Amino acid sequence: MSDTTIQHHVESRDVTFRVHRFNPQVDSKPYFDDYTIKLEKGITVLRALNYIKEHVDSTVTFRAFCQAGICGSCAMRINGISKLACTTQVWDELDRSRETGIIRIEPLRNLPLIKDLVVEMDPLVGKMKKHSNWVDSRMPEDEWGKKEFLISEKEFLTYDKATDCILCASCVSECTILRAHQEYVSPAVLLKSYRMNVDSRDGIHDQRLAGLVKDHGVWDCTHCYRCQETCVKHIPIMDAIHGIREDAIERRGTKDTSGARHAEAFMDDIAKKGKLVEATLPIRTNGIAWTVKNLLPMAFKMVLKRRTPPPPPLVKASKGIDALRKEFREMTGHVTKDHQKKSGE
Amino acid sequence: MLQVCTDFRLSMKPFDIVIVGGGGAGLYAAMEAMKTNPGLNVAVISKIYPNRSHTSAAQGGANAALANKAKDDTVEMHIFDTIKGSDYLADQDAVEVLCSEAPKIIRELDNMGTPWSRLDDKTIAQRPFGGAGRPRCCYCADKTGHTILQTLYEQCLRKGVFFFNEYFAIDLSVEGSRSRGLIAMNIKTGKIEAFPAKTVIFATGGYSKMYWNRSSNAAGNTGDGQAIAYRAGIPLKDMEFVQFHPTGLRKSGLLVTEGARGEGGYLVNALGERFMARYAPEKMELGPRDLVSRSLETEILEGRGLDSPAGKYLLLDLRHLGADIIKSRLPQIREMCMYFEGVDPIDEPVPVRPTAHYSMGGIDTDNYGRTIMEGVYAAGECGCVSVHGANRLGGNSLLDILVFGRIAGRAAAEESGKFNPSAIPESEVTRIEHDLRGFMQPKGHYERYGALREELGQTLGLNVGIFREASKIRKGIEDIESLTERFSHVRVFDTGDIYNTNLLQALELKNMLDLAATVAAGALAREESRGSHTRNDFPVRDDKKWHKHTIYTYEEGHPRIGFKPVTMGRYELQERTY
Repeated sequence: MSDTTIQHHVESRDVTFRVHRFNPQVDSKPYFDDYTIKLEKGITVLRALNYIKEHVDSTVTFRAFCQAGICGSCAMRINGISKLACTTQVWDELDRSRETGIIRIEPLRNLPLIKDLVVEMDPLVGKMKKHSNWVDSRMPEDEWGKKEFLISEKEFLTYDKATDCILCASCVSECTILRAHQEYVSPAVLLKSYRMNVDSRDGIHDQRLAGLVKDHGVWDCTHCYRCQETCVKHIPIMDAIHGIREDAIERRGTKDTSGARHAEAFMDDIAKKGKLVEATLPIRTNGIAWTVKNLLPMAFKMVLKRRTPPPPPLVKASKGIDALRKEFREMTGHVTKDHQKKSGE
Repeated sequence: MLQVCTDFRLSMKPFDIVIVGGGGAGLYAAMEAMKTNPGLNVAVISKIYPNRSHTSAAQGGANAALANKAKDDTVEMHIFDTIKGSDYLADQDAVEVLCSEAPKIIRELDNMGTPWSRLDDKTIAQRPFGGAGRPRCCYCADKTGHTILQTLYEQCLRKGVFFFNEYFAIDLSVEGSRSRGLIAMNIKTGKIEAFPAKTVIFATGGYSKMYWNRSSNAAGNTGDGQAIAYRAGIPLKDMEFVQFHPTGLRKSGLLVTEGARGEGGYLVNALGERFMARYAPEKMELGPRDLVSRSLETEILEGRGLDSPAGKYLLLDLRHLGADIIKSRLPQIREMCMYFEGVDPIDEPVPVRPTAHYSMGGIDTDNYGRTIMEGVYAAGECGCVSVHGANRLGGNSLLDILVFGRIAGRAAAEESGKFNPSAIPESEVTRIEHDLRGFMQPKGHYERYGALREELGQTLGLNVGIFREASKIRKGIEDIESLTERFSHVRVFDTGDIYNTNLLQALELKNMLDLAATVAAGALAREESRGSHTRNDFPVRDDKKWHKHTIYTYEEGHPRIGFKPVTMGRYELQERTY
């Protein structure tokens, strides 16, 4: 084993990397290769993979560039979670692993696989283009360079965190909606869209927003928070998604999609009764025609199984509804005030 | 869109501009070219997705005399600081362009959406930086390069630049003294493709990665553009000047920024001494970058370093600052030490050693980015105008790529109509295909590129590093020659076409070997000490003999050295003291 030793003066141990392999030229389906090497504490997963490529099996294929956590190339799934290999310590992963001494390395999900750990990034770039993920400056190009925009530190702070995004696509890989619909706009693109929309230099806010509220857009998100939990730069991505939704309802009302109408119906029910009136929720969200066409068979099944929701007149207001209504008014009052403050700036 | 592009190339109608490299310089060039003439076909060819480029790693900022922070700052002062910093090897007319364009370029980036940090009066924020007389470094927190790169990429997408992402540039197709275009490999398919082009702009970044794990650079900063241009007959300039940063992490060479010492960190040797007292008793840890680097190296050479299998090192001790200060003011540095060294600076000193991080040399260009070959340009760290001379100032590297990327983009856009290149012959493509297959043939005796790469970094660090002297440099040159010979036996074990990083890394090593030969040859030739180039056997600056640029031309596999005068202006030669 001596030739597979990097360093050996501090704590060291044998670690097995179970690496996802697939070369479409020769393999009919993916498989795993195990590489066991002796490592010193303090080594990152990327350094270990580099070592495997240089000394054990040079055909193992992955992306890596800056090796310092800023370029976003080496995002992959390590023990099931999407993250950067270059900022992940092997020892931490050994603690997390379900199988003693084994670290599982797989490619990102929700993007087409090219080889081993490399996935196609073009779909993400395509969505960035589709949603105009750039500042379309209010200043004509021939005026550029002559004077600065005056921007408050406060405005800078509204997009500061969002500009930390390195497009590593970890959030894309973890997104539960993308798993169901590849067309979904994806968390990273929503984050970037939000960042552009709150920038006072940008001149196409309404047009960008109109694109985001269409099918497979911002209303498809189910608030699972996986994107935010896994973000390698700790960006509150869900705040951006909520920000776009609030903006959309404020400027466009709830006409755009079932998602917006669903949210509105929810709010109404909570305000009036403190709970949902489930029987009419689909009608208010998607209209009567859609409901009859799509949900009637299910309604019959529910009747057979005696799982029908109570008819609307029988839904009584919850206990303590007065206190709840008061609290509700207070909460929505805060939101309205926030909006007034924002638009007043 | 890609489809349009492919058809377009099949008809063999040349691109107006092909830009090699998608970092700050390449993207600025692409955007400016499209701005100059929206009807042009501009293609960016990059071996990685452009938003991954190493521009993203620049944290500090870009210098510009906006006078937002210090009202009395002037372009004139910026010019002087830059020339003095360069140890008077910079061309003064080029520095004038750099510094007078600076305020305009920073405002332009603001106008297109770069998120600059702001001052109370809502103008772009500026902070002090090493070697600058006024606080003129414009920044976005500690992610300036990253945000500039994102902005430029976004604007290029907006303007409809054709991107060929994950294409590896291999060769320039040359007919006589003219270029026909570029030949590159599509990494995702392994196909060799021709890019006929009226103009080509090289913007592939620096070559400091040849010092391998003694470098702070990204794995891909292997000088591909310089090596391709050099082999195609375009001269390189000032290659011997490589800047070392004092505090790289021991294992990875990654940078611990000057901020750590700015906050009061100590540099300590194996005996527990704050050794900077020996070299800069007043300024201690905050002496100028080249002096501190030389001090660390001296401690190691004289046996006062600590030992580890990853090499000798010294310690950066932050513990006395306390957990609160480290967590609040140096969070990124703490994170880096934990990620990459497995050390929490609150509990343990950080193992450091000097690390190669910037190459002043590059493709020889005029002030418009033009090389001696018609229709071929270079910009950014890949080119050498020269604005940094023998030593670059902090905050001038981002500025360089922006200003000269823009200038080269405009020049190419305006001049592309003049060129009418002939078609790239099919035979060149098949020759390259054949050569690449050669790497994969089974060989009786073979070499692994990984080992050669490591040895190259080692010999460069030992023999052509911070301290240089004739006998050592000769040893370095011998080593590079023997490594080049051994390279012909390298075997690539991945024989597939798709995403063959094994093959790419071998090709990158060849580029580094060719450039390493020029760095070493220049280091031996230049018998003086100037800026980053320190000769123990010639310890002083010798303006009489050596106030000139070194020029390298490729001749039968070896560099031939020539010289070029330095363009002077209103600043006379002076001794450089701080």
